Amino acid sequence: MLDSIVFLLAGTLAAATPLLFAAMGEAVVEKAGVLNLSIEGMMAVGAATGFAVATISGSYVSGFAMAAIGSAILSSIFAVLVLFFLANQVAAGLAVGILGLGFSVLIGKNHEGQTIKSLPDLELGWLSELPFVGGVLFSHDLMLYVAIGMIILVWWVLSHSRLGLIIRAVGESPDAASAIGYPVVLIRFLAILFGGAMAGLGGAYLTLSYTPLWAEGLVAGRGWIVVALVVFGMWRPLRIALGAYLFGAVSLLELFIQGQGFSIPSQLLSAMPYIITIVILVIMSRNPRLIRLNHPASLGQSWHRNA
Amino acid sequence: MAYRLVTRTETSLRAQLLVPLAAIVLTLLAGSVLFSLLGKNPLAAFHAFFIEPLSTRYGIGEVLLKMGPLLLIAQGLAIGFRARVWNIGAEGQLLAGAMAASALALHFDTSESAWLLPAMVCVGTLAGAAWAGIAAWLRTAFNANEILVTFMLSSIALQLLYYLVSGPLRDPMGLNFPQSALFSDAAMFAPLLDNTRVNNSLFLALAASLLAWIFVQRSLSGYKLLIGGLAPQAARYAGFSEKKAVWLGLLIGGAAAGMAGVGEVAGPLGLLQRSISPGYGFAAIIVAFLGGLHPIGIVFAAFFMALIYVGGDMSLVSVGLPNSSATIFQGLLLVFYLACFLFANHRLQKVEIRH
Amino acid sequence: MKNRIRVFRTAALTLAATLTLGTAQAQETFRIGYIYPSPAADVGWAHELDEGRRAVEEHFGDQVESVIVENIPDGPDAARIMNQLAAQGVDMMMLGSFGYMNDGLKTAKRYPDIDFIHASGYKTLDNLGNFLTRNHESSYVAGMAAGYVSKSNVIGMVASYAIPEVIGIINAFTLGAQETNPDISIKIVWLNSWFDPSKAQESARSLIAQQSDVIFSIYQDTPSVVTVAEEEGVYVVNTSSDMKPYAPTYLLASMKVSWGDYFIEQVQASMDDSFKGESFWGGMADNAVSVESISDDLSTEQRATLDARIAAITAGEFHPFSGPVIDQSGQEIVAEGDTLSDADLLGISWLVQGIETRLPQ
Repeated sequence: MLDSIVFLLAGTLAAATPLLFAAMGEAVVEKAGVLNLSIEGMMAVGAATGFAVATISGSYVSGFAMAAIGSAILSSIFAVLVLFFLANQVAAGLAVGILGLGFSVLIGKNHEGQTIKSLPDLELGWLSELPFVGGVLFSHDLMLYVAIGMIILVWWVLSHSRLGLIIRAVGESPDAASAIGYPVVLIRFLAILFGGAMAGLGGAYLTLSYTPLWAEGLVAGRGWIVVALVVFGMWRPLRIALGAYLFGAVSLLELFIQGQGFSIPSQLLSAMPYIITIVILVIMSRNPRLIRLNHPASLGQSWHRNA
Repeated sequence: MAYRLVTRTETSLRAQLLVPLAAIVLTLLAGSVLFSLLGKNPLAAFHAFFIEPLSTRYGIGEVLLKMGPLLLIAQGLAIGFRARVWNIGAEGQLLAGAMAASALALHFDTSESAWLLPAMVCVGTLAGAAWAGIAAWLRTAFNANEILVTFMLSSIALQLLYYLVSGPLRDPMGLNFPQSALFSDAAMFAPLLDNTRVNNSLFLALAASLLAWIFVQRSLSGYKLLIGGLAPQAARYAGFSEKKAVWLGLLIGGAAAGMAGVGEVAGPLGLLQRSISPGYGFAAIIVAFLGGLHPIGIVFAAFFMALIYVGGDMSLVSVGLPNSSATIFQGLLLVFYLACFLFANHRLQKVEIRH
Repeated sequence: MKNRIRVFRTAALTLAATLTLGTAQAQETFRIGYIYPSPAADVGWAHELDEGRRAVEEHFGDQVESVIVENIPDGPDAARIMNQLAAQGVDMMMLGSFGYMNDGLKTAKRYPDIDFIHASGYKTLDNLGNFLTRNHESSYVAGMAAGYVSKSNVIGMVASYAIPEVIGIINAFTLGAQETNPDISIKIVWLNSWFDPSKAQESARSLIAQQSDVIFSIYQDTPSVVTVAEEEGVYVVNTSSDMKPYAPTYLLASMKVSWGDYFIEQVQASMDDSFKGESFWGGMADNAVSVESISDDLSTEQRATLDARIAAITAGEFHPFSGPVIDQSGQEIVAEGDTLSDADLLGISWLVQGIETRLPQ
C-alpha cells in the first residue's frame, strides 16, 4: 500500500512537470495581456526538436536547449501576428498551434516511435534513501526540480520584482504603461518568447524524460490543459502549480483505480480529468470579484501605439 | 520615410477580397519553399494538391463531400465568432450529433420510413446544440471560459463515443468489435452524383449558408451579434445582452456541428465507429476566419479547404508528400490570412518626417 | 488526433503520413498498395505489416512494385486513399487496419479486378480476404513464462481495446500463467487506444506500484511500456514485434507476428488469378505467430516445458483453451475434455477466473 502511495505522489510530480513548464510560461504571457492558445503546437515542436537533437547529439542539454529555442521561434510567429499585425489572438493562437503540430511531425519524421534513455535521476545520496519522503521527493531528474524552481522564480518575478510590475502594468493597461514610457510591444514580445521556450521545455520533458520516446500526437491535449490551468489558477503561479499537481494526480488515479478492479467504465475514467477541469473552472470562475482582481485587464485585446 | 497605421473608417470590399487571395498566394510561395526543402518538385506538388482532385468526377465528388461538413460547421461557428464567442469544440458537438442520430437509426433499424432521416437530422442538430449549450450555460451562469469548456467537452464527447461503440450501440452481430451495425437505407442520405460518395447532405450545408446569409444581413438578431462583436460598448448601449449573444452563438454553432455529424454517419460512414471526423471541427475554425466570417466568403473558403484536404491525400499517393504537409498548409493559410487581414481594416499612411 | 485531444489522437488535426514509391514503373510489374494505420516505425503493428511487404518484395523481386501509404486513420478518409490507389492501377491492396473493413468492402465491390486482403475484421468477398493471427497461442506460452518468474503472483496488463482478439490474448495468457503458477492474479488497465505512449507508460508504472512484477503490453504500438519495465526492473512481455533491444535485461518474451508467408501466398494467388476471398487465421503451425527472445532467466526445465508446449501447439496437440475454462462469474464455459471453438474464440467477450479487472462496459 505504501508503495502505491509513493508511486502516486512521485508519479504526480513527474506527470505535472511538462504542464508546469508550459503553464509558468503562459502565466507570464497572459499577465502581459496576451492570450496564446498555441501551446499544444509549441509543446509538440519542443517535444520533437528535443528528441531529435538529443538522439543525434547524445546530449540532453542540447536537446532541452534546442527544444526551448525551436518553440520560441515558433512563438515568434505568433508574436509578430498579434503584436505587429494586430491579429485576433484566439485565431492567431489556433493558427500557430496547427502549424506547430504540422512542423513537429516533419521534425520528428526520422524518429517516429523511437525511444531514448530517460533523463537520469539525480544522485541525492542519503536523501533518496529516506523512507517514503526519499521515494516521493528525492528520486527525480534535474528538470523536475528546475520546473519547481521555475514556479518560485515566476512567482517571485511577477509579484515581487520591478520586472513583474512592468509586465503586470502592460497587461493591465497598455495605454497607461506606454504613456509612462514602457515599451509595451517589446515586453509582450519577450513574454511570448519566454512562453514559447517554456512550452518547448515542457514538450521536451515529455520526450526526454517522461515517456521517453517521440511519436506523433504525443502531447495529446496537454497544451489545452495548460491554458485551463492558468485560468483556474487565477494567473497566480502557486495556484497554477497546485492545479498542475492536482491534474497529474487525477490522471494517475484513473489508471490506479482501473488496476484496483473497480467496475467503472474506463471511458468515464478517461474523461475524468476533463470533467474535473471543467468543474474546477466553474468553481473558480463563478466568483467575479476574484476574477476581476487577477484577470489581466487587457488580456486578448490587440494594442498598438497611436502616434 | 515612415508609415503609420490608420484604422479604416469603412471596411473596403476590395481589401476584403484581396486579403484571402493574398493569403493564398503567400501560402503557395511558402509551400513551394517547404516542398523544395523536402526534395519535392513544388509544381508537381501543387498539381497534386489543386489540379488532380478537380480533374476526375470522383475527385470532385470527394471535394464536395469534404466541403459539406466544413461549410456547415464554419457557418455556425462564424456567427458565434462575430460576437466574440469562441466555440472551439465543434468537434465534440459534431460527435454529439453523430451519436444521437446513430442511436435513432439503430433503434429503428428495420424502419423504411421516409421520416427516419429527417428525424435523425433533427435529433442530431439538437444534440449538437445541447452539447454546446452546456458551455453556454456554464459561461452565462458561472462565467466559465467557453474556449476551455468547449474544448474539454470535445474530449469528453470522444470518450462517450468510445463508450457507446464498445457498449450500448455496439453491433450485436459484430463479434464485439467497437462499432455499430450498418444503418438501413432509410437512415442514409441519397447519393448526389453517380460513382462518387457525395450525397444530399450537401444541400443542408448550402441551405445553412443561405440561412446564415439572411440571418446576418437581414435579421435583427444577426445585426445584434454583428454589433456585439465589432463594438461591445455600442452593443451594451443599444441594450443587447451579452448573455443572449453567448447563448445564440454557441447554440447555433453547436446545432450546425451536430447536423454535420449526422451527415457523416448517415453519409460516407453508414455506421457509428470510433473515428468519425478527421478534425472537421478544428478545420472549420480556419474556414470561418478565411471566409472573413462572412457567409459568402465561407462558401469559397470551405471549398478551398476541402481541396487542400483531398489534394493532401492525392499528393500522398502520387507525389509522396508527407501527410503533415496538409496540416502545415492549413496553418500557413490562417497565419498569412491573419497577417494580411490587418490591411482590411487598417491602411498605411505615409508620414512626413520633419527635420 | 492520436486520438487525444486526441486530443487528441485527439490532436485531431495532425494526420501525418508518408509514402515511398518502389522501383521505377514497368508495364508488367504487379503493383500492390499497402495502407497502414500508423507510421511503419521500428517496431509495432505497422512495422510487422511492412515486414510482410518486404518479404513479398524479396520473394518476387522485380515482379512486384509496392505503393505504401502510412498513417491513414480509420474513418471517412481511408476510402479516398483506397480509391486513389485503385485509380493508380494497383493489382492488389493490403488494408492494414480493422477500421478499414466497411470502406474496403465498398471499394472491393467497386473494383472487382483488384484483390484485397484485410487485417482482422470478419467480412469477406470473392476478392476480399482477411487475415488474423492466433495470438492466443503465443500468449499462452508467454503466460507460462510469466507464471514462472512472478514472485508477487500479480501480473499487470496494459491493454488497448476490449475486442475479442485482445480478450483472447488476455485469457490465454492468464490460463498459461495459471498452469505454472496457480496463485496468479491479473490486473488490467484499459487504455481504449492503440497508441497513447504517455498513458501506457503511466499505466505500467501504476501496475508496478500495485505489486505487479510482470507487465504485459498488449497492442501498444510503441515500446514505451517495455522501456519502463526495463527501467523499473520488472519482467515484460509484449505483442507484435520482438522488443528485445528495448529491454535487454527484463524482456521475458515477445509475441511476434509474421505476415511474410501469408502475403507471398496471397500475392502468388492473385497473380495466378486463383485468389479466393477467405479468412486466414494463422497460428504457430502457419509460421504466423511465434514466441521470441525468451529470457535466459528461466531455468532449463522451465524452458524445456515452454518448448514442449510450443511444439504441442504447433503440432495441433494442445489448445490454449482446453477445458475446464471458468469465467469470472464462476460459470464453466469450456467443459473438461473440450476446447473452445474458433467461432466462440472469434467473438469472445468474457474473461477467465483469476483476472481481477472486469471488462469495460
